[in-house]
Amino acid sequence: MDQTAPDPQLKKVLCIEDEHFISELYARALTKAGYSVDVQLDGQKGLSAAQTDTYDIVLLDLMIPNITGIEVLRTLRDPKQTPRFHGKVIITTNLEQRDDVRADIEKQADGYLVKAEITPRQLVEFLTKLEPPQA
Amino acid sequence: MDFYAKYRKQLDWHIGLLVFAQQLLVMGAGWLLYESHRVTDLTVLLLMSGLSVLGAMLVLHLVRRTASEPIQKLWQAIQHIAPQGDPVPAPALDDLRIGQELVSNLANHVYQMASVVEDVERTNAKQAQDIHANFIANTLPLPLIVIDKNDTIIYANEVAYRYFDIPADELDGKNLYTAFDMSFANEQTVELWLNKVRQDSVTANNSWERVRIGLPGQNKTKQFDLAAHYNKSNPMGYETMLVLFDHTEVYSQDDQAMSFVALSVHELRTPLTLLRGYIEVFDEELGPNLTPELQGFMQKMDASAQQLAAFVDNILNVAKIEDNQLTLQLHEEKWDEVLKTVIGDISLRANVRGITIKTDIAPDLPTVGVDRYSIYEVVANLLDNAIKYSRGTKEIHVSAALNKDGMVETSVKDFGLGIDGAILPHIFDKFYRNHRNRSQIGGTGLGLYLSHAIVQAHGGQISVSSKVDEGSTFSFTIFPYAKLADANKTGDTNGITRGAHGWIKNHSLYRD
Repeated sequence: MDQTAPDPQLKKVLCIEDEHFISELYARALTKAGYSVDVQLDGQKGLSAAQTDTYDIVLLDLMIPNITGIEVLRTLRDPKQTPRFHGKVIITTNLEQRDDVRADIEKQADGYLVKAEITPRQLVEFLTKLEPPQA
Repeated sequence: MDFYAKYRKQLDWHIGLLVFAQQLLVMGAGWLLYESHRVTDLTVLLLMSGLSVLGAMLVLHLVRRTASEPIQKLWQAIQHIAPQGDPVPAPALDDLRIGQELVSNLANHVYQMASVVEDVERTNAKQAQDIHANFIANTLPLPLIVIDKNDTIIYANEVAYRYFDIPADELDGKNLYTAFDMSFANEQTVELWLNKVRQDSVTANNSWERVRIGLPGQNKTKQFDLAAHYNKSNPMGYETMLVLFDHTEVYSQDDQAMSFVALSVHELRTPLTLLRGYIEVFDEELGPNLTPELQGFMQKMDASAQQLAAFVDNILNVAKIEDNQLTLQLHEEKWDEVLKTVIGDISLRANVRGITIKTDIAPDLPTVGVDRYSIYEVVANLLDNAIKYSRGTKEIHVSAALNKDGMVETSVKDFGLGIDGAILPHIFDKFYRNHRNRSQIGGTGLGLYLSHAIVQAHGGQISVSSKVDEGSTFSFTIFPYAKLADANKTGDTNGITRGAHGWIKNHSLYRD
């Protein structure tokens, strides 16, 4: 895997994650792989950032302050919201959901990762494999 | 206006006129005959007498017709509304010459009285029904739902509306399965039972435990036991009655236990994520400069963190199985690819102990029907155990082939400790530990219990053969996908939903 050359169409990443150590690790690995990374620690700020800036990928934790990740995801995917978010949403969580809840979340998201099961490098590999969004 | 007086007057006039006319006729005829001089007095007398009799008979006939006609019409009106006997048409009152108003009036009274009687009867019947439906149904302190033979809800009592927090009458006319997405603890769903009893029973009773309903638009789950009474020929069309016994509170305590586990797992996973992340950073950036010994330590640290992550997943999955929450989505997978993924992920843990995993996967294996995540756990657990109990031996063999029953059989063989024959029958029990042999098998309980449950949920079998000091072989079978899809008679697009203990999350398996 050539980590220095990610798909140039998917370069800008927003990491919504309240565990500072984790976002730091992810940002470090992603930056080294050529992505630009912004971090937001809470749901409300994360949502506004995702809606106002043009991110290609949002890494979204579910247990975050103010607005839950599920709410952020729902808002980002709501067709009535303007401006519409056209990037990818990857759920990164350590929270175990009931299977039906998880299935619901997976339907709306572009990926669902359990953080404890992946290392930062594996996260980069996962993002590199993402298809760029349809124009 | 006194219609009777009018009728009497009409009658008097009519009869009086008739009698007067008849008398006039008879007298006139007598006078003419008397004047003619050609007949004798006796003849005149006889002729007049005869004429009188004839006239009287004519008068009688006419009087009878006019006077009795109203009574006849009235009689017909009564007969018309009489419930018994042959149907009689309503009398035509317009052609009545005498007493039309009186008869119309009387007939209307008769009709009105009849309809009052009918109303009273109908009200009585409805009251009886209301007592049946409302009194009994609404004083029953349990939610009650009645459906007809088309699964349409035709009645739900007030308690049911309150229980589901639905506005009154919202359920009437809805399909039971559309209105309620019920999840059952096993494959015996209400739908399946109803389909069966509708074919071969006149009446039947059944009950279910731990039924779940997620309420549409509400973030709540209700849990209850369910009792059903089926009666094919209920005269009111009340084919099946469902009574719910709420146990949400009791059953959701299990859920809360579950969420305690989920919460603990979340808390365990956060430091694990960090540990694995930092280990990776150190390994990548410092690794090349470290001494081989320190490099080895780094790998062992990584392997240990992975093992801990796997154990945390085991805890979670055991909790899910215990709580009937583990659901499997069986999809078509290439088995050699699944095996290679697991072995690739576990190899670090084997390598740090100097163990090599050798594979012998039969070429041309059919695709299998598995839940990728769950079956991954099975292979990973068997490999972890093999690594743990290799005790200095350097190889683990993984093989996969089609067995004589047409199932895909996978074996994990180690050459280490082996398991005492006395323990073998209990090896898949939950947390089994034989106290005499604690040191030998301590800690295996969780993984094997989990593997057993997952393999069974896939419809396969897991088995073990072992000899102390020679090693153990754990084998399990899974369905080739074609066979599984055939057995479940379902399309291959949506996969197949299964649960541990055969838990079916919803009845989609039987739908369509």
